[in-house]
Amino acid sequence: KQKKKQNSIHLCSVLKLTLFCVLQAPPSMVSTEQRQHAEHVFLSFRKSKSPFAICKHILETSKVDYVLFQAATAIMEAVVREWILLEKTSIESLRAFLLTYVLQRPNLQKYVREQILLAVAVIVKRGSLDKSINCKSILLEVGQLISSLSPTVPPVLYALLTYSLYCSLTHEDGLRQIFMMTMEVLQEFSRRENLNAQMSSVFQRYLALANHVLSWNFLVVLLPLLLFLLLFMLLLALTGGDSLGRHYIAMFEATQNVTLKPTESWREALLDTRVMDLFFTVHRKIREDSDMAQDSLQCLAQLASMHGPVFPDENAQISYLAHLMEGLLSMINGIEIEDSEAVGISNIISNLITMFPRSILTALPSDLFTSFINCLTLLTCSFGRSAALEEVLDKDDMVYMEAYDKLLESWLTLVQDEEHFPRGCFVQPAIQVFNSYIQCHLAAPDGTRNLSVNGISSHDEEEINELQEDDRELFSDQLSSIGMLGRVAADHCIPLLTSLLEDRVTRLHGQLQRTQQHLMASSDLGSVDRKVLDDLYEDIHWLILVSGYLLADDPQGETPLIPSEVMEFSIKHSTEVDINTTLQILGSPGEKASSIPGCNRTDSVIRLLSAVLRTSEVESRATRANLTELLSPQMGKDIVWFLRRWAKTYLLVDEKLYGQISIPLSTAFGADTEGAQWIVGYLLEKVINNLTVWSSEAELAYDTVELLVTLVEKRERANIVVQCESWWNLAKQFASRSPPLHLLSSSVQRTLMKALVLGGFAQMDSDAKQQYWAEVLHPLQQRFLNLINQENFAQISQEEAVKQEIVATLEALCGIAEATQIDNVASLFSFLMDFLSSCIGLMEVYSNTPETINLIIEVFVEVAHKQICYLGETKSMKLYEACLTLLQVYSKNNQSRKRSDATAEEDQYQDLLLIMELLTNLLSKEFIDFSDTDDVFRNQDQGTPASNRTVSAADVVLYGVNIVLPLMSQDLLKFPSLCNQYYKLITFICEIFPEKIPQLPEDLFKSLMFSLELGMTSMSSEISQLCLEALSPLAEQCAKNQEKDSPLFIATRHFLKLVFDMLVLQKHNTEMTVAAGEALYTLVCLHQAEYSELVETLLSSQRDAIIYQRLADAFNKLTASSTPPTMDRKQKVAFLKSLEEFVANVGGLLCVK
Amino acid sequence: MADPDLDFQTGESGASATYPMQCSALRKNGYVVLKGRPCKIVEMSTSKTGKHGHAKVNLVGIDIFTNKKYEDMCPSTHNMDVPSIKRIDYQLVNINENYMSLMSDNGDIREDLRVPDNEVGKEIESKFEAGEEFMVSLVSGSYLNEFSYILYLSAPT
Repeated sequence: KQKKKQNSIHLCSVLKLTLFCVLQAPPSMVSTEQRQHAEHVFLSFRKSKSPFAICKHILETSKVDYVLFQAATAIMEAVVREWILLEKTSIESLRAFLLTYVLQRPNLQKYVREQILLAVAVIVKRGSLDKSINCKSILLEVGQLISSLSPTVPPVLYALLTYSLYCSLTHEDGLRQIFMMTMEVLQEFSRRENLNAQMSSVFQRYLALANHVLSWNFLVVLLPLLLFLLLFMLLLALTGGDSLGRHYIAMFEATQNVTLKPTESWREALLDTRVMDLFFTVHRKIREDSDMAQDSLQCLAQLASMHGPVFPDENAQISYLAHLMEGLLSMINGIEIEDSEAVGISNIISNLITMFPRSILTALPSDLFTSFINCLTLLTCSFGRSAALEEVLDKDDMVYMEAYDKLLESWLTLVQDEEHFPRGCFVQPAIQVFNSYIQCHLAAPDGTRNLSVNGISSHDEEEINELQEDDRELFSDQLSSIGMLGRVAADHCIPLLTSLLEDRVTRLHGQLQRTQQHLMASSDLGSVDRKVLDDLYEDIHWLILVSGYLLADDPQGETPLIPSEVMEFSIKHSTEVDINTTLQILGSPGEKASSIPGCNRTDSVIRLLSAVLRTSEVESRATRANLTELLSPQMGKDIVWFLRRWAKTYLLVDEKLYGQISIPLSTAFGADTEGAQWIVGYLLEKVINNLTVWSSEAELAYDTVELLVTLVEKRERANIVVQCESWWNLAKQFASRSPPLHLLSSSVQRTLMKALVLGGFAQMDSDAKQQYWAEVLHPLQQRFLNLINQENFAQISQEEAVKQEIVATLEALCGIAEATQIDNVASLFSFLMDFLSSCIGLMEVYSNTPETINLIIEVFVEVAHKQICYLGETKSMKLYEACLTLLQVYSKNNQSRKRSDATAEEDQYQDLLLIMELLTNLLSKEFIDFSDTDDVFRNQDQGTPASNRTVSAADVVLYGVNIVLPLMSQDLLKFPSLCNQYYKLITFICEIFPEKIPQLPEDLFKSLMFSLELGMTSMSSEISQLCLEALSPLAEQCAKNQEKDSPLFIATRHFLKLVFDMLVLQKHNTEMTVAAGEALYTLVCLHQAEYSELVETLLSSQRDAIIYQRLADAFNKLTASSTPPTMDRKQKVAFLKSLEEFVANVGGLLCVK
Repeated sequence: MADPDLDFQTGESGASATYPMQCSALRKNGYVVLKGRPCKIVEMSTSKTGKHGHAKVNLVGIDIFTNKKYEDMCPSTHNMDVPSIKRIDYQLVNINENYMSLMSDNGDIREDLRVPDNEVGKEIESKFEAGEEFMVSLVSGSYLNEFSYILYLSAPT
């Protein structure tokens, strides 16, 4: 009776559906409400229970495409939802019905057909999960259908192929069968000769229709494509696993970086050389169609990445690779490469170089390998030139640039493993690639920069904003590869760079002199033609960048070594070198190198550095001649960037780090050499000059001050630096805030302070040291104290000059904190601590000036960030106390502050962000702690016993949270940075101090729990995951305490329900299943009774006996492996495993209305 | 540097209270004269013409008296005028026919300022009527022949 009633309801809705769809046809006649209502009807229709009979009926009778589409969707959704309720036979018949339906109706609308096939595919896919569907039988069925096929009904073939692909995606064995079947089909078709003409006309019609969009319709009409695309899909399927997407483009993109690793069973199929040949053939045929060409090349790239058990032995791999290479070479050599092919071809090459072991590459016939390398060389140079052209034309789609990047990366891979290959086999290619790179980056006549195809040079002055990355970062990958190739061919490349750079510097010098004379005559800067200068600057820019990447690496955190190729090169020629002349060239940057007698017998490595120093000297002299406006700040940046990179590696070269060392290098730059001292002095002068002249160029000033940091951050270098008088002058000048250093931007000032502090830890006799600190740090302290202790400080505090002084002091404090190293933390900490309490006083004074408040908090953040990990117990406590006071004052000042401005920007909440950062930094002590009290603070810490502990990190952090929490409104959580920092912090707290959570004041506890709930339920999945991770430690804490009435215990009970609902009743992100599962498990352990209750309630709400039973079974299965649940890792893992199955089985079922 | 003797209490005008500062040394939230108006800098960015060009600073400022927005761009080496801005905190003693009696820290009383006709003014009045204790901060700047001021409310110190 009930069933009848249901049916009638459905029929009714069907009627409505149809009605609305008919109505929909003329849009003007339908109101928005009607349309919305119709949509609602469809939605509820799709959610209705067991709509199969109705849907079948609709499919058979309705003529409205949209209704058919909806019916197919309803079937698809219902099958998945009710899977475990359905009899296997009825599923089977449903599938058969749908398939036959499609096959019998070749004229269906494309989107309807696709939807029905998708439904079939989903059924197959779902079936393959519990093996209830026999893939083989389906494939057999399809195979029969294919062989009975008439080629005149392309849509049917199309439908079949789509369908079989859907099947194949789910089953590898099926995949292979499809593959073999496809081969047969292809042969079958290729026997019918008369097809071609007909096909090609059909093809053209489709081509026009499809408007260059690759669609399945192509493959039905163009035979080779059939195989090609099928194989393509197969390869994707093979590599991508089970991505069941209708839009294969999406799949294509998702699997682009996946390599092909088929199983042994594919051996016969894929090692058949005809398969690969076919791909090459196919590509030749379709390469002019850019969309399809990309796909066929991607296919080849996949084949080029093939590895794994498919190869029975090395020989098989060798002959496979050889065949691939031959195919590739004959393809490339026979054609003029199209734009759309560049990336694809470079992918093939990159894949085969990356994936095939060196031993296989070297085992190739040497002719073949040589031709391959030659071809790669030519291709690289040619792509490089085309990439340069793309830049000139300012193209949006930089295909050659991408291809060039790929090839350069492949070169890097090859030459890094140079020792495996015949000696010197990469030298000639390296020279060619290097030369062509240089050529593309130099102006005419030496180079081709900015030359468009017809040889006309373009020169435009575009606006460049501060966000644009510097070339040295933007092209760092290219430059690394070129630098590496330059090392391989050091004999050629280093002298080349030197002579080009020396030449440009001489020309620059001349041009500046001429301009100066011109200016003396006219004094109008506007009349200067900058074209010649700019061309020289750009040449020098690239030459310096390449030199920098060639001569040195920039490894993060390690001591960079002189590259072995460079070292060997210098050693190899050291017998021909006159060291004195070399030193003379090095030491006279103001003179033309070629004017020094014997200049041909110099060490080339030193000579290249000298060339950069000459550039630097021309620049410095120009600034002294008041020609700064003519100079290029970009070149200035390049120079200090190079010098910094160079200094890190070469200055005071440590012989112990090298097996053998070049005499010229160690004589010029070794420890205790005049050369090293001279260079340090020279660099220091350069830094000081730059800071004076270029204060208006923030980036250049910053690069300059970074060079200074490099000079002092290593003790050995700092020892020389502090012997220079100019260093002391710099320190005094900065400490007195006298011009022009006070014009520097705040980040530069901060870093300058850092450098000055680092320098203070160099070796000096105690008098000198005392004097140094008296000149550097004490003025800072003195000025600050004088200012804030003035009687009328409160009155004058808002004056601009006073504010500037305060801000400068705070910036300096941040810089001092940044200079912290393990061996200076003791003295820096004491120095900074004295300031911290005064800073807290400033919080009151500047409560109306948010930017100053932020800076004060930032000082604390920096101190905590840099120092807390080294501090012993007493010192940490002092810092905790200071932070606590800061937070208290902050809290007091913020009580009345309104934060309801709807238009507020994220940076107005910088203070909150900083406070959270501070708290997180303090917490980090709990897991990163290098403190060895006795060692670092030997003379100061007289070991306070732990029992005297007054403040702990937890206290400060919880106090801080107490302040932050009430200020964090839901609106604020909409700012991503605040939201992330906030949840990071509270998750940390739950993980690190779960024992503190129950002790929180009620309000705070409540808002913390609310935050967790909010984060779990209504934030991004990342945040949600963080919150879920916080739950387990809380539950474990409860289990430890055994207090059944504590608020935390009650809260965890609530979370049990939340997580339970989340996993069982709601659609959720699958990434979260693990985090949620872990949380659920610990919560279940804690609240077993409540969990059973939840399950009972859920079951009892099921009126359907079958559903009830299946659900009950599922729940039993879920906990079967972990009964009774205990907090045991093994059990937890077992639970998580059954949870996966549970979610797959029951997930959709419970969402039914 | 700021003219320390600028005595705005007399309401005197004509003292060109600006000083020059290199453009690159200006800071966001600081002050600058844009198109002849004293402004608080709300946005600052740099750009350059061509790769080897020199930096130019783009400034956006809000007129501290009229709240009007001004923009300007200049080479970062150039000097810009910075208006002298002064701020004094007063305690509000009384309001008499719309004029405020304000007492400074050193006990001086001034009664020449009207309760401004804006949100701040309303707040001053309502707080005063409620008997709340609060400070009135006077920010003043003079530029060319113009003298003006704005008021802030702040918590008692």
